[in-house]
Amino acid sequence: MSSTMKSTVALLCLQCAAAVRAANGEGSRPRGVSPEFAKFYKDTTAFTCISNPLIKLPVNRINDDYCDCPDGSDEPGTSACAHLSPLSPHTPADVGPNGANSTLALPGFYCKNRGHVPTYVPFTNVNDGICDYDLCCDGSEEWEHVGGVKCEDKCQQIGKEWKKVDEVRQKSLGNAGRKRKELVAEAKRKRKEVEDRLQTLGTEIEGSELKVKQLENELAEVERREKGKVVKAGEQKVGKLGMLVGLARQRTEELRETLEKTRGERDSSRNRLAELESLLTAFKDEYNPNFNDEGVKRAVRAWEDYAARDKGLAPDAAHDRDLDAMIKSDKDNGLDWEEYKEGETSDDGVSYAFLNYLPSPVGSFLDQKLRDLRVTMIESGILADTSSSSSESKAVTDARNRLEAARKDLESSRKSNDEHKEDLNKDFGPDDVFRSLKGQCVSTDSGEYTYELCFMERTTQKPKKGGGHTNMGNYETMEIITVDDDVPADGKGLGSGQRIAMKYGGGQGCWNGPNRATTVVLGCAENNEVWKIMEEEKCIYRMEVGTPAVCEGVYGGGQAQSGRDEL
Amino acid sequence: MAVLGSDSRRWSGLLLIFVFLCSFITPVVTVKHENFKKCDQSGFCKRNRAYADAALSTSSWQAPYSLDPASIKFDNGMLTGSVVKTIVNTAETVRLPLTIAFYESGTARVTLDEERRQKGDIVLRHDSKAKKQRYNEAEKWAIVGGTTLSQGAATSKGAEKGTTNISYGPAGTFEAVIRHSPFGIDFKRNGETQIQFNNRGLLNVEHWRPKVEKPVEEKKEGEEAVVGESAKDTEEDEGTWWDESFGGSTDSKPKGPEAVALDISFPNYQHVFGVAEHAGPLSLKETRGGDGKYSEPYRLYNSDVFEYEMDSPMTLYGAIPFMQAQKKDSTVGVFWLNAAETWIDITKSSSSTNPLSLGIGSKITTNTHWISESGLLDVFIFLGPKPQDVVGAYTELTGYTQLPQQFAIAYHQCRWNYVTDEDVRDVDRKFDKNRIPYDVIWLDIEYTEGKKYFTWDPDTFANPLGMEKQLDEHERKLVAIIDPHIKNEGNYPVVDELKSKDLAVHNKDGNIYEGWCWPGSSHWVDCFNPAAHTWWKSLFRYDKFKGTAKNTWIWNDMNEPSVFNGPETTMPKDNLHHGGWEHRDVHNINGMTFQNATYHAILARDKEEDKANVRPFVLTRSFYSGSQRLGAMWTGDNQAAWPHLEASIPMLLSMGISGFPFAGADVGGFFGNPSKELLTRWYQAGAFYPFFRGHAHIDTRRREPYLAGEPYTQIITQALRLRYSLLPAWYTAFHEAHTNGAPILRPNYYVHPGDEKGFAIDDQFYVGSTGLLAKPVTTEGADGVDIYLADKEKYFDYFDYWMYEGPTTVSLAASLDTIPLLMQGGHIIPRRDRPRRSSGLMRYDPFTLVVVIGNSGDAEGTLYLDDGESFDYEEGAFIHRRFEYKSATSTLMSEDLAAASASPSRKTKDYLKAMEKVRVEKVIVVGAPESWKSKKEVEVSEELAGKSSGTKSAELEWHGKEEGKAAWAVVRDPGIQIGAGWKISFA
Repeated sequence: MSSTMKSTVALLCLQCAAAVRAANGEGSRPRGVSPEFAKFYKDTTAFTCISNPLIKLPVNRINDDYCDCPDGSDEPGTSACAHLSPLSPHTPADVGPNGANSTLALPGFYCKNRGHVPTYVPFTNVNDGICDYDLCCDGSEEWEHVGGVKCEDKCQQIGKEWKKVDEVRQKSLGNAGRKRKELVAEAKRKRKEVEDRLQTLGTEIEGSELKVKQLENELAEVERREKGKVVKAGEQKVGKLGMLVGLARQRTEELRETLEKTRGERDSSRNRLAELESLLTAFKDEYNPNFNDEGVKRAVRAWEDYAARDKGLAPDAAHDRDLDAMIKSDKDNGLDWEEYKEGETSDDGVSYAFLNYLPSPVGSFLDQKLRDLRVTMIESGILADTSSSSSESKAVTDARNRLEAARKDLESSRKSNDEHKEDLNKDFGPDDVFRSLKGQCVSTDSGEYTYELCFMERTTQKPKKGGGHTNMGNYETMEIITVDDDVPADGKGLGSGQRIAMKYGGGQGCWNGPNRATTVVLGCAENNEVWKIMEEEKCIYRMEVGTPAVCEGVYGGGQAQSGRDEL
Repeated sequence: MAVLGSDSRRWSGLLLIFVFLCSFITPVVTVKHENFKKCDQSGFCKRNRAYADAALSTSSWQAPYSLDPASIKFDNGMLTGSVVKTIVNTAETVRLPLTIAFYESGTARVTLDEERRQKGDIVLRHDSKAKKQRYNEAEKWAIVGGTTLSQGAATSKGAEKGTTNISYGPAGTFEAVIRHSPFGIDFKRNGETQIQFNNRGLLNVEHWRPKVEKPVEEKKEGEEAVVGESAKDTEEDEGTWWDESFGGSTDSKPKGPEAVALDISFPNYQHVFGVAEHAGPLSLKETRGGDGKYSEPYRLYNSDVFEYEMDSPMTLYGAIPFMQAQKKDSTVGVFWLNAAETWIDITKSSSSTNPLSLGIGSKITTNTHWISESGLLDVFIFLGPKPQDVVGAYTELTGYTQLPQQFAIAYHQCRWNYVTDEDVRDVDRKFDKNRIPYDVIWLDIEYTEGKKYFTWDPDTFANPLGMEKQLDEHERKLVAIIDPHIKNEGNYPVVDELKSKDLAVHNKDGNIYEGWCWPGSSHWVDCFNPAAHTWWKSLFRYDKFKGTAKNTWIWNDMNEPSVFNGPETTMPKDNLHHGGWEHRDVHNINGMTFQNATYHAILARDKEEDKANVRPFVLTRSFYSGSQRLGAMWTGDNQAAWPHLEASIPMLLSMGISGFPFAGADVGGFFGNPSKELLTRWYQAGAFYPFFRGHAHIDTRRREPYLAGEPYTQIITQALRLRYSLLPAWYTAFHEAHTNGAPILRPNYYVHPGDEKGFAIDDQFYVGSTGLLAKPVTTEGADGVDIYLADKEKYFDYFDYWMYEGPTTVSLAASLDTIPLLMQGGHIIPRRDRPRRSSGLMRYDPFTLVVVIGNSGDAEGTLYLDDGESFDYEEGAFIHRRFEYKSATSTLMSEDLAAASASPSRKTKDYLKAMEKVRVEKVIVVGAPESWKSKKEVEVSEELAGKSSGTKSAELEWHGKEEGKAAWAVVRDPGIQIGAGWKISFA
């Protein structure tokens, strides 16, 4: 019953109802029959059950408040056949000879609602003593006035109000449509940006690749050259003291760096510890000694023991000052390494000085040959390679650094390229529309919190009274879900049908519960706004959000297509 | 380490296997045993069990109590006298004033007090301000009627020497044979002994004594104190007489040992039932150990038992110290009126008259041993012989169950917690949208601002009135929780008044008691105090409890009372209540006084403010004998597990036969997430709970029926709609309970007291007097159940009219969408078949009568109907009809029962006028005679305004038998009023 009714109700619209009304003479229809079904009730001699043509009844059995037809079609205007539904329990004497598979032939009690939009009211609501004005503004479903109830016709008023609201809504929807177009255009632009960037990146990558190659060659060249050198810079020319100073300087630098890093880690651990202790203190105060399990009790006892022990070392300001001083550069501490540095002599000048005494072409020829020979000897293992020692020549280091930098550039370009490509292939919904919303945030207040949605990024709960923000989930996927909700007069509701839902998961974990997660269901609206935030169950949230981004297409807000489909 | 060698490896291997095996055992959350006392941790229980052991281990035991013959007086249905207790091995005696009252109803009552305490002639320790008497006000709370002394009771002539005999009861068929020494009483019916007091000599009234400080003997470590045999004989073990510690708190016991205990035997009775509330079988088990038996006594000490365990004599939230014994064709009972901690040992002994009979013809006798920590020894005796005679007499004393408003017996949707008022509205809309009926939505503690009752959280429940208005649009109700702990916090007017008016429970020093509960530091309102009662009434006025409306009702939880940091999660026993009574004396009544205050507060709210004469609805967790007058109970915090679904049925059956039938268990299970199958089966069972509420813990996933998905939602909806269509039958059953105390869910023994084979059956039941026999599926994956049919009668499947014939056990298929439900032949069941959004919207719907013809060819049934909300029924505004089908005349008649029970008033007329359009739209006859085969119509005549209308005819549709299914017929719209007299002739 319910599914048939819902779909038929959803299909009902002003135009077709009006058209049928014009075609059929009104007034001749039995109570509760819509123009759509009027043809079944024309015969004035007998009535044939709509889905059971073998059953014929005298016409006075129509709407006599007794269910005769197995499909309920003899009672379009009463609740007598309301029990014919898979939702009701059945016994042989309730459902007639055809068994429990009966389905109602009619979608409901037809309310004409003159001055407003006609609708079907579920048969369960007919003559139950309640005026269902939200469905039946003319009050005609309470025709029997049970218990003295009188439902006056309010269609003029309700229809007028509805029209007014509807106009606003339509206007708003128009705006929303425009905004969506803008969003789509913006998304296109952003997509273009990405595509352009990809192109640029492509060129950049090519350039970088060339550069890397070039620098690789250069490095090889420099290395080769360096290997040829007889005497190495550094240890050869620097005396033992100089070496020591160099090592000391290096070591001090290392220690300073490590100290700084360790201190940072200490501070962050200290903060985390403080946070943890305050959490546990709150936990101990707030836990329910009766209603938590042994694990909790053990944890509390352990915490109490821990808290009772001595606290370890309190942060010591003097100690920190010492550390500050130590971390300062050596120069600030009155130690200037440069003072201990001995002058460096170019090995070129020393080793090969004699060449200067030769004619230059001979000199350079010899020089070249000597170097080549040396390299050959080194490469063939005849001569020891003095250049492979810990200190590389500056020239090699520089070349290597240049190469590394270039490689890094290339790597980052490639990464960026991949990211952009991925971004381009990512699902941003129909028309790529969410590309323009990504990273935009909307929020709403509910209870003691402000809830924020940053599209395709995360959902967050922020206490109004201050304090830490709680991550309620990071964007994971987009899904299509089916909703079936009422739309309030202001149009801020999901309506019925399929809607886009964004899943945000893996948020902050809950005590005794899962990691927080949020389902954000989108409905059509003029502006981005959070309509509703619900904690459906512990730490599982549902946000209903209006956005122009879904105002067209299959998964748009229902209200965009037809005015009162929720009925 | 090296020396461990291969042995250690073997051990670690075993350990590994053990750990491995353990990982296969699903971790089951169970009750925290260490939080609750066992008998040997409760001094008085330990002492009395030891006393029993000593007495029963010797054949020469002489109970040291005798009735002084010279003191006996009998006058006007009341015997008085003095029982003298001889203190072991001394010449000292203690006088215990005795009264035995014989009431008109056939109930007798034996009361023993203690003279010295009665006179206040004792000294309390620790400068206690407690009252010196034994608690003698339990009757003030529990007893409301049935205590007219019998004029017919008389001393019988020809009593044996050393006894005094009183004959009483209906036509003098009852007799109390009072033995003087040792003191004891045999209660007889028609000359046959049914109940024996002190037959085994376990009577023990711990008299007051001063504490004598003795030099403490040095005990060597690791050695038990050795007491010489002679010392053992002369001295009682004083170890548990004075201050007692448990779980870190010490009970100062200013009055010293003061227990009362008595053995009560039921000769030749195999089964005993009652002493609710326990999670175990209906037929109580033996408690002194052995295979399949308990080793702990049944305990009654109202407690907030977290994650309670199945099949256990452990105490739960409420206490009804009423026990029935059952043998073939005879039921008797006792009611132990005592509000202190109570333990009951049960043993059964078999005796055979002929040693050669090899058990055949041997008789089983059930022996019970009742032990209470303090108070009077005060016992009521019911001699039956029918189950209803016993339950009826007990409820005559303690009151009949409230006639609830109709919404209260429809479906309740609860959760800890619906988090905002918008959340509530949303759930309300979703029920409608999914065409699922419901009547009431509930709010647990989170609606309050910081757990301060009578406030609303301004952030989450900003508009409670708007929410209530939306609910009211479809005649739905809101139930909000109010607990007895009042948050101890500044700027909270309720606690300020509680303190300034001095209305809270006091600690042993007389200061206001402070403990922990949901709000943290809290005080407890002392509803024993009439001033507190008056104050409590004022709090529920609409202008005091702002945000409540006429459709707001109340849930009282945590009223055992639950105190998170108290001994056994409750109050210290030496706390003081109004009048100086120690908490130990009144503990089990405490919960009832709170519900009582709330009941009267709601009554006052509606009477004074609306001039509305409506019946309050208050749910309670803790209860005592008499709580049934005040509203409903539920079985507390169960779990979403099959054993809990299974246990709910014996538990509710036990509540039903204990005079408190308005009972339910949380559908779906409170803790944990039920599988969809379990949830569905639980709704099918819940549709047969007198109190039908779905509830869930805050940490569980949402499980409103519309969330289950198909096919579950549809099946659950069918179960809910089945409950709604049968509401007229349920309401009639409630009315019957309200009139005579009859249970609503009736176990086999109650309906068939002559059928010994069915005495222990507690997984199937009859609904009121309708003949509906249900056996909900309570096991996972079941596709059928076996139902025991006790009588030689036809039974028909409710849903397809399949026919069975008792006595036998039949197998019913029960796929997930089927509830095993039979109709016993011989009944007429009233229904309303039109599905509506709430029960209130069914008020003017027509009726369907289902006539179920059994072996006799006849059938009968009743219908009680009123406005379902007000007290106008007390002034005659109701319809009460008896329907009868007689095969001899082939007529179905409706006969007025109202005229017999009340004289018509203006309200009667008004009500009948309002209902005059309500008709019987259909009569279904199941098991219709073959002779109707060719009948096409029946003759209908109606009596209106005292005159008989002419005869009209109505169509008859007849269907023959089909492969096992019964023939049935339908009378089409006979056009008769439900409230009028009429006759349908099938001849």
